Amino acid sequence: MKAELKPTAVWDLPVRLFHWLLVALILVAWLSAGKSMTVHSLAGYSVIALVVFRLWWGLVGSSTARFSSFVRGPRAILSYLRHMGERTPGQSPGHNPVGAISVLALLALVLIQTSTGLFSVDVDGLESGPLSAWVSFDMGRQFAHIHEFAFRILQVLVGVHIAAILYYAIWKRENLVGPMITGRRRFSSPVTSLGSVPVWRLIVGIAISLGLALAIARGFRV
Amino acid sequence: MPSAHMFNALKVMTFVLALGAVGGSAMAAIDAQDAVKARVDHFKTMGRAFKTIRDGMGNPALDNKMIAAQATIIRDTSAGVVSWFPAGSGPSASVKSDAKPEVWSDAAGFAKAAQKLQTESAKLVTVANAGDADAIRAQVRATGGTCKGCHDTYRVPDKD
Repeated sequence: MKAELKPTAVWDLPVRLFHWLLVALILVAWLSAGKSMTVHSLAGYSVIALVVFRLWWGLVGSSTARFSSFVRGPRAILSYLRHMGERTPGQSPGHNPVGAISVLALLALVLIQTSTGLFSVDVDGLESGPLSAWVSFDMGRQFAHIHEFAFRILQVLVGVHIAAILYYAIWKRENLVGPMITGRRRFSSPVTSLGSVPVWRLIVGIAISLGLALAIARGFRV
Repeated sequence: MPSAHMFNALKVMTFVLALGAVGGSAMAAIDAQDAVKARVDHFKTMGRAFKTIRDGMGNPALDNKMIAAQATIIRDTSAGVVSWFPAGSGPSASVKSDAKPEVWSDAAGFAKAAQKLQTESAKLVTVANAGDADAIRAQVRATGGTCKGCHDTYRVPDKD
Protein backbone atom coordinates (compact mmCIF):
# COMPACT_ATOMS: atom_id res chain seq x y z
CA MET A 1 0.00 0.00 0.00
CA LYS A 2 1.37 3.40 -0.99
CA ALA A 3 2.58 5.55 1.88
CA GLU A 4 0.35 8.56 2.40
CA LEU A 5 1.50 12.06 3.19
CA LYS A 6 0.09 14.09 6.06
CA PRO A 7 -3.38 15.51 5.54
CA THR A 8 -3.92 18.36 3.07
CA ALA A 9 -6.74 20.89 3.22
CA VAL A 10 -9.29 20.15 0.48
CA TRP A 11 -12.54 21.87 1.48
CA ASP A 12 -12.72 25.34 2.98
CA LEU A 13 -14.99 26.09 5.94
CA PRO A 14 -17.69 27.98 3.99
CA VAL A 15 -18.13 25.02 1.63
CA ARG A 16 -18.39 22.58 4.50
CA LEU A 17 -20.80 24.74 6.49
CA PHE A 18 -22.89 25.25 3.36
CA HIS A 19 -23.07 21.49 2.78
CA TRP A 20 -24.16 20.44 6.24
CA LEU A 21 -26.46 23.41 6.88
CA LEU A 22 -28.19 22.57 3.60
CA VAL A 23 -28.69 18.98 4.71
CA ALA A 24 -30.19 20.09 8.04
CA LEU A 25 -32.40 22.77 6.48
CA ILE A 26 -33.78 20.49 3.77
CA LEU A 27 -34.72 18.04 6.52
CA VAL A 28 -36.37 20.79 8.57
CA ALA A 29 -38.26 22.09 5.53
CA TRP A 30 -39.41 18.59 4.68
CA LEU A 31 -40.66 17.80 8.17
CA SER A 32 -42.37 21.14 8.69
CA ALA A 33 -44.17 21.25 5.33
CA GLY A 34 -47.91 21.49 5.91
CA LYS A 35 -47.37 21.37 9.67
CA SER A 36 -45.57 24.52 10.76
CA MET A 37 -45.44 26.93 7.86
CA THR A 38 -43.54 29.50 9.92
CA VAL A 39 -40.68 27.03 10.40
CA HIS A 40 -41.05 25.86 6.79
CA SER A 41 -40.74 29.40 5.39
CA LEU A 42 -37.77 30.20 7.62
CA ALA A 43 -36.03 27.06 6.45
CA GLY A 44 -36.79 27.97 2.84
CA TYR A 45 -35.43 31.51 3.17
CA SER A 46 -32.30 30.11 4.84
CA VAL A 47 -31.82 27.66 1.97
CA ILE A 48 -32.12 30.54 -0.49
CA ALA A 49 -29.45 32.43 1.42
CA LEU A 50 -27.20 29.36 1.45
CA VAL A 51 -27.56 28.67 -2.27
CA VAL A 52 -27.00 32.32 -3.23
CA PHE A 53 -23.88 32.28 -1.07
CA ARG A 54 -22.67 29.05 -2.67
CA LEU A 55 -23.12 30.52 -6.15
CA TRP A 56 -21.05 33.54 -5.15
CA TRP A 57 -18.45 31.37 -3.42
CA GLY A 58 -18.28 29.20 -6.52
CA LEU A 59 -17.01 32.27 -8.31
CA VAL A 60 -14.60 33.73 -5.74
CA GLY A 61 -13.92 31.02 -3.15
CA SER A 62 -10.98 28.67 -2.69
CA SER A 63 -9.82 26.46 -5.56
CA THR A 64 -11.99 23.43 -4.81
CA ALA A 65 -15.02 25.64 -4.17
CA ARG A 66 -14.93 27.21 -7.61
CA PHE A 67 -17.19 25.86 -10.34
CA SER A 68 -14.40 26.48 -12.85
CA SER A 69 -12.29 23.85 -11.08
CA PHE A 70 -14.78 20.99 -11.24
CA VAL A 71 -17.37 21.70 -13.95
CA ARG A 72 -15.79 19.95 -16.90
CA GLY A 73 -16.73 19.08 -20.50
CA PRO A 74 -17.73 15.72 -22.02
CA ARG A 75 -14.15 14.57 -22.62
CA ALA A 76 -13.11 14.95 -18.99
CA ILE A 77 -16.36 13.34 -17.87
CA LEU A 78 -15.91 10.31 -20.16
CA SER A 79 -12.27 10.00 -19.19
CA TYR A 80 -13.22 9.96 -15.50
CA LEU A 81 -16.02 7.46 -16.13
CA ARG A 82 -13.51 5.02 -17.58
CA HIS A 83 -11.66 4.90 -14.25
CA MET A 84 -14.65 5.22 -11.97
CA GLY A 85 -15.02 1.46 -11.56
CA GLU A 86 -11.50 1.03 -10.14
CA ARG A 87 -11.27 -0.09 -6.56
CA THR A 88 -8.83 2.65 -5.60
CA PRO A 89 -9.50 6.11 -4.19
CA GLY A 90 -9.07 9.10 -6.48
CA GLN A 91 -6.02 11.28 -5.92
CA SER A 92 -7.14 14.74 -6.99
CA PRO A 93 -8.66 17.20 -4.55
CA GLY A 94 -12.20 18.52 -4.92
CA HIS A 95 -15.19 17.32 -6.92
CA ASN A 96 -14.52 14.99 -9.86
CA PRO A 97 -16.16 15.68 -13.27
CA VAL A 98 -18.99 13.20 -12.62
CA GLY A 99 -19.62 14.39 -9.08
CA ALA A 100 -19.79 17.88 -10.55
CA ILE A 101 -22.92 16.89 -12.47
CA SER A 102 -24.50 15.85 -9.21
CA VAL A 103 -23.54 19.14 -7.59
CA LEU A 104 -25.13 21.16 -10.39
CA ALA A 105 -28.25 19.00 -10.48
CA LEU A 106 -28.78 19.29 -6.72
CA LEU A 107 -28.19 23.06 -6.74
CA ALA A 108 -30.61 23.47 -9.64
CA LEU A 109 -33.30 21.38 -7.96
CA VAL A 110 -32.92 23.22 -4.66
CA LEU A 111 -33.28 26.52 -6.54
CA ILE A 112 -36.42 25.27 -8.28
CA GLN A 113 -37.77 23.97 -5.00
CA THR A 114 -37.33 27.23 -3.15
CA SER A 115 -38.43 29.57 -5.93
CA THR A 116 -41.65 27.67 -6.63
CA GLY A 117 -42.44 27.84 -2.94
CA LEU A 118 -42.23 31.61 -3.06
CA PHE A 119 -45.17 31.82 -5.47
CA SER A 120 -47.22 28.93 -4.10
CA VAL A 121 -50.82 29.40 -3.05
CA ASP A 122 -52.20 26.92 -0.52
CA VAL A 123 -55.66 25.41 -0.39
CA ASP A 124 -56.66 26.94 2.93
CA GLY A 125 -55.93 30.49 1.82
CA LEU A 126 -53.82 31.21 4.88
CA GLU A 127 -50.26 30.14 4.15
CA SER A 128 -49.24 31.24 0.67
CA GLY A 129 -45.68 32.14 -0.32
CA PRO A 130 -44.30 35.66 0.12
CA LEU A 131 -44.45 36.46 -3.61
CA SER A 132 -47.80 34.78 -4.28
CA ALA A 133 -49.52 38.16 -4.64
CA TRP A 134 -47.56 38.57 -7.87
CA VAL A 135 -49.42 35.68 -9.53
CA SER A 136 -53.05 34.63 -9.97
CA PHE A 137 -54.76 32.08 -7.71
CA ASP A 138 -54.69 29.45 -10.45
CA MET A 139 -51.02 30.08 -11.26
CA GLY A 140 -50.20 29.98 -7.55
CA ARG A 141 -51.89 26.60 -7.24
CA GLN A 142 -49.82 25.42 -10.20
CA PHE A 143 -46.67 26.55 -8.42
CA ALA A 144 -47.78 24.63 -5.35
CA HIS A 145 -48.16 21.44 -7.40
CA ILE A 146 -44.75 21.94 -9.03
CA HIS A 147 -43.26 22.67 -5.59
CA GLU A 148 -44.51 19.30 -4.44
CA PHE A 149 -43.41 17.44 -7.56
CA ALA A 150 -39.96 18.99 -7.54
CA PHE A 151 -39.46 17.66 -4.03
CA ARG A 152 -40.00 14.12 -5.29
CA ILE A 153 -37.23 14.68 -7.82
CA LEU A 154 -35.00 16.19 -5.15
CA GLN A 155 -35.55 13.13 -2.96
CA VAL A 156 -34.42 10.90 -5.83
CA LEU A 157 -31.32 13.03 -6.42
CA VAL A 158 -30.44 12.94 -2.73
CA GLY A 159 -30.84 9.17 -2.84
CA VAL A 160 -28.46 8.97 -5.81
CA HIS A 161 -26.02 11.24 -3.96
CA ILE A 162 -26.04 9.02 -0.87
CA ALA A 163 -25.70 5.89 -3.00
CA ALA A 164 -22.67 7.41 -4.70
CA ILE A 165 -21.06 8.22 -1.35
CA LEU A 166 -21.61 4.61 -0.29
CA TYR A 167 -20.18 3.37 -3.58
CA TYR A 168 -17.04 5.41 -3.05
CA ALA A 169 -16.72 4.22 0.54
CA ILE A 170 -17.30 0.51 -0.11
CA TRP A 171 -16.07 -0.08 -3.64
CA LYS A 172 -13.43 2.57 -4.13
CA ARG A 173 -12.35 2.62 -0.46
CA GLU A 174 -12.54 6.42 -0.51
CA ASN A 175 -14.08 8.20 2.46
CA LEU A 176 -15.82 11.32 1.17
CA VAL A 177 -17.74 12.20 4.32
CA GLY A 178 -14.71 12.74 6.60
CA PRO A 179 -13.10 15.41 4.42
CA MET A 180 -16.44 17.22 4.05
CA ILE A 181 -16.48 17.51 7.85
CA THR A 182 -12.82 18.11 8.71
CA GLY A 183 -11.83 19.71 5.43
CA ARG A 184 -8.68 17.57 5.26
CA ARG A 185 -7.60 14.44 3.41
CA ARG A 186 -4.48 12.35 2.93
CA PHE A 187 -3.12 11.93 -0.59
CA SER A 188 -0.42 9.55 -1.81
CA SER A 189 1.48 12.31 -3.59
CA PRO A 190 1.60 16.05 -2.92
CA VAL A 191 -1.33 18.16 -4.13
CA THR A 192 -1.68 21.93 -4.17
CA SER A 193 -3.06 23.13 -0.86
CA LEU A 194 -6.17 25.30 -0.76
CA GLY A 195 -4.64 28.63 0.01
CA SER A 196 -6.52 31.39 1.72
CA VAL A 197 -9.30 33.60 0.40
CA PRO A 198 -9.53 37.31 1.30
CA VAL A 199 -12.06 37.82 4.08
CA TRP A 200 -13.88 40.61 2.23
CA ARG A 201 -15.17 38.03 -0.26
CA LEU A 202 -16.74 36.07 2.57
CA ILE A 203 -18.31 39.22 4.03
CA VAL A 204 -19.70 40.33 0.67
CA GLY A 205 -21.10 36.85 0.06
CA ILE A 206 -22.87 36.78 3.40
CA ALA A 207 -24.23 40.30 2.84
CA ILE A 208 -25.61 39.49 -0.62
CA SER A 209 -27.20 36.22 0.42
CA LEU A 210 -28.73 37.50 3.66
CA GLY A 211 -29.92 40.69 1.98
CA LEU A 212 -31.64 38.84 -0.83
CA ALA A 213 -33.24 36.28 1.50
CA LEU A 214 -34.57 39.05 3.75
CA ALA A 215 -35.96 41.00 0.81
CA ILE A 216 -37.70 37.89 -0.48
CA ALA A 217 -39.15 37.11 2.95
CA ARG A 218 -40.66 40.60 3.01
CA GLY A 219 -42.06 40.18 -0.50
CA PHE A 220 -39.72 42.91 -1.68
CA ARG A 221 -41.83 45.44 0.20
CA VAL A 222 -39.89 48.40 1.58
CA MET B 1 -88.60 -28.05 -19.61
CA PRO B 2 -88.35 -24.48 -21.01
CA SER B 3 -88.58 -24.15 -24.77
CA ALA B 4 -85.84 -22.80 -27.04
CA HIS B 5 -87.84 -19.56 -27.27
CA MET B 6 -87.77 -19.11 -23.52
CA PHE B 7 -84.01 -19.70 -23.36
CA ASN B 8 -83.51 -17.03 -26.02
CA ALA B 9 -85.78 -14.62 -24.17
CA LEU B 10 -83.87 -15.26 -20.95
CA LYS B 11 -80.55 -14.63 -22.68
CA VAL B 12 -81.80 -11.38 -24.17
CA MET B 13 -83.23 -10.24 -20.84
CA THR B 14 -80.00 -11.05 -19.00
CA PHE B 15 -78.01 -9.18 -21.61
CA VAL B 16 -80.28 -6.12 -21.43
CA LEU B 17 -80.17 -6.13 -17.63
CA ALA B 18 -76.38 -6.37 -17.63
CA LEU B 19 -76.14 -3.53 -20.17
CA GLY B 20 -78.47 -1.50 -18.03
CA ALA B 21 -76.37 -2.09 -14.92
CA VAL B 22 -73.13 -1.18 -16.63
CA GLY B 23 -74.66 1.74 -18.47
CA GLY B 24 -76.40 2.92 -15.34
CA SER B 25 -73.23 2.91 -13.28
CA ALA B 26 -71.35 4.59 -16.08
CA MET B 27 -73.93 7.35 -16.16
CA ALA B 28 -73.79 7.62 -12.39
CA ALA B 29 -70.03 7.98 -12.65
CA ILE B 30 -70.43 10.71 -15.25
CA ASP B 31 -72.93 12.54 -13.03
CA ALA B 32 -70.67 12.20 -10.01
CA GLN B 33 -67.66 13.46 -11.97
CA ASP B 34 -69.73 16.45 -13.09
CA ALA B 35 -70.66 17.14 -9.47
CA VAL B 36 -66.98 16.99 -8.48
CA LYS B 37 -65.98 19.37 -11.28
CA ALA B 38 -68.76 21.78 -10.40
CA ARG B 39 -67.85 21.98 -6.73
CA VAL B 40 -64.13 22.29 -7.47
CA ASP B 41 -65.02 25.30 -9.62
CA HIS B 42 -67.09 26.80 -6.75
CA PHE B 43 -64.29 26.28 -4.25
CA LYS B 44 -61.84 27.88 -6.66
CA THR B 45 -64.17 30.86 -7.00
CA MET B 46 -64.03 31.29 -3.23
CA GLY B 47 -60.28 30.67 -3.27
CA ARG B 48 -59.72 33.40 -5.84
CA ALA B 49 -61.81 35.84 -3.86
CA PHE B 50 -60.00 35.03 -0.64
CA LYS B 51 -56.61 35.35 -2.30
CA THR B 52 -57.59 38.81 -3.55
CA ILE B 53 -58.44 39.77 0.02
CA ARG B 54 -55.22 38.29 1.40
CA ASP B 55 -53.08 39.97 -1.27
CA GLY B 56 -54.62 43.25 -0.13
CA MET B 57 -53.55 42.58 3.48
CA GLY B 58 -50.00 43.38 2.42
CA ASN B 59 -50.89 47.07 2.09
CA PRO B 60 -50.80 49.18 5.25
CA ALA B 61 -54.01 50.90 4.09
CA LEU B 62 -56.80 48.37 3.49
CA ASP B 63 -59.21 48.61 0.57
CA ASN B 64 -62.48 48.13 2.45
CA LYS B 65 -64.66 48.19 -0.65
CA MET B 66 -62.61 45.47 -2.33
CA ILE B 67 -62.67 43.31 0.79
CA ALA B 68 -66.42 43.71 1.18
CA ALA B 69 -66.98 42.84 -2.48
CA GLN B 70 -64.77 39.75 -2.37
CA ALA B 71 -66.24 38.64 0.95
CA THR B 72 -69.70 38.95 -0.60
CA ILE B 73 -68.65 36.51 -3.31
CA ILE B 74 -67.45 34.07 -0.68
CA ARG B 75 -70.57 34.46 1.45
CA ASP B 76 -72.93 34.00 -1.49
CA THR B 77 -71.03 31.06 -2.96
CA SER B 78 -70.66 29.31 0.38
CA ALA B 79 -74.42 28.97 0.78
CA GLY B 80 -74.37 25.97 -1.55
CA VAL B 81 -71.53 23.94 -0.03
CA VAL B 82 -73.60 21.06 1.34
CA SER B 83 -75.69 20.84 -1.85
CA TRP B 84 -72.51 20.33 -3.89
CA PHE B 85 -71.95 16.95 -2.23
CA PRO B 86 -74.95 14.78 -3.20
CA ALA B 87 -74.92 11.14 -2.14
CA GLY B 88 -72.80 9.07 -4.48
CA SER B 89 -70.53 11.92 -5.58
CA GLY B 90 -67.69 10.87 -3.32
CA PRO B 91 -64.45 9.24 -4.43
CA SER B 92 -64.80 5.77 -5.95
CA ALA B 93 -63.17 3.53 -8.51
CA SER B 94 -64.48 5.73 -11.31
CA VAL B 95 -64.69 9.14 -9.61
CA LYS B 96 -61.70 11.20 -8.49
CA SER B 97 -62.42 13.47 -5.58
CA ASP B 98 -60.54 15.01 -2.67
CA ALA B 99 -63.62 14.71 -0.46
CA LYS B 100 -63.20 12.37 2.48
CA PRO B 101 -65.93 9.80 3.28
CA GLU B 102 -66.61 11.82 6.46
CA VAL B 103 -68.45 14.39 4.31
CA TRP B 104 -71.28 11.87 4.13
CA SER B 105 -70.68 9.67 7.16
CA ASP B 106 -70.52 12.78 9.37
CA ALA B 107 -72.99 14.89 7.43
CA ALA B 108 -74.00 16.85 10.53
CA GLY B 109 -70.39 17.85 11.26
CA PHE B 110 -69.84 18.77 7.61
CA ALA B 111 -72.93 20.94 7.58
CA LYS B 112 -71.69 22.70 10.72
CA ALA B 113 -68.32 23.39 9.14
CA ALA B 114 -70.01 24.76 6.02
CA GLN B 115 -72.22 26.94 8.18
CA LYS B 116 -69.14 28.38 9.91
CA LEU B 117 -67.83 29.51 6.51
CA GLN B 118 -71.11 31.22 5.72
CA THR B 119 -71.25 32.91 9.11
CA GLU B 120 -67.67 34.17 9.13
CA SER B 121 -67.68 35.34 5.51
CA ALA B 122 -70.98 37.18 6.12
CA LYS B 123 -69.41 38.78 9.17
CA LEU B 124 -66.43 39.78 7.04
CA VAL B 125 -68.77 41.67 4.69
CA THR B 126 -70.18 43.60 7.64
CA VAL B 127 -66.81 44.25 9.25
CA ALA B 128 -65.30 45.39 5.94
CA ASN B 129 -68.12 47.88 5.42
CA ALA B 130 -67.67 49.15 8.99
CA GLY B 131 -64.05 49.95 8.18
CA ASP B 132 -62.02 49.15 11.31
CA ALA B 133 -58.68 47.84 10.00
CA ASP B 134 -57.81 45.69 13.03
CA ALA B 135 -61.26 44.14 13.07
CA ILE B 136 -61.04 43.45 9.34
CA ARG B 137 -57.65 41.75 9.67
CA ALA B 138 -58.93 39.62 12.52
CA GLN B 139 -62.05 38.64 10.62
CA VAL B 140 -60.03 37.74 7.52
CA ARG B 141 -58.02 35.34 9.67
CA ALA B 142 -61.21 33.95 11.18
CA THR B 143 -62.72 33.37 7.73
CA GLY B 144 -59.58 31.62 6.50
CA GLY B 145 -59.69 29.54 9.65
CA THR B 146 -63.06 28.10 8.60
CA CYS B 147 -61.54 26.96 5.29
CA LYS B 148 -58.70 25.25 7.12
CA GLY B 149 -60.96 23.81 9.80
CA CYS B 150 -63.23 22.14 7.28
CA HIS B 151 -60.33 20.95 5.08
CA ASP B 152 -58.50 19.41 8.04
CA THR B 153 -61.45 17.09 8.67
CA TYR B 154 -63.20 16.64 5.34
CA ARG B 155 -60.60 17.08 2.61
CA VAL B 156 -57.79 14.72 1.64
CA PRO B 157 -54.56 16.68 2.15
CA ASP B 158 -52.26 17.35 -0.80
CA LYS B 159 -49.61 14.63 -0.87
CA ASP B 160 -46.68 15.23 1.40
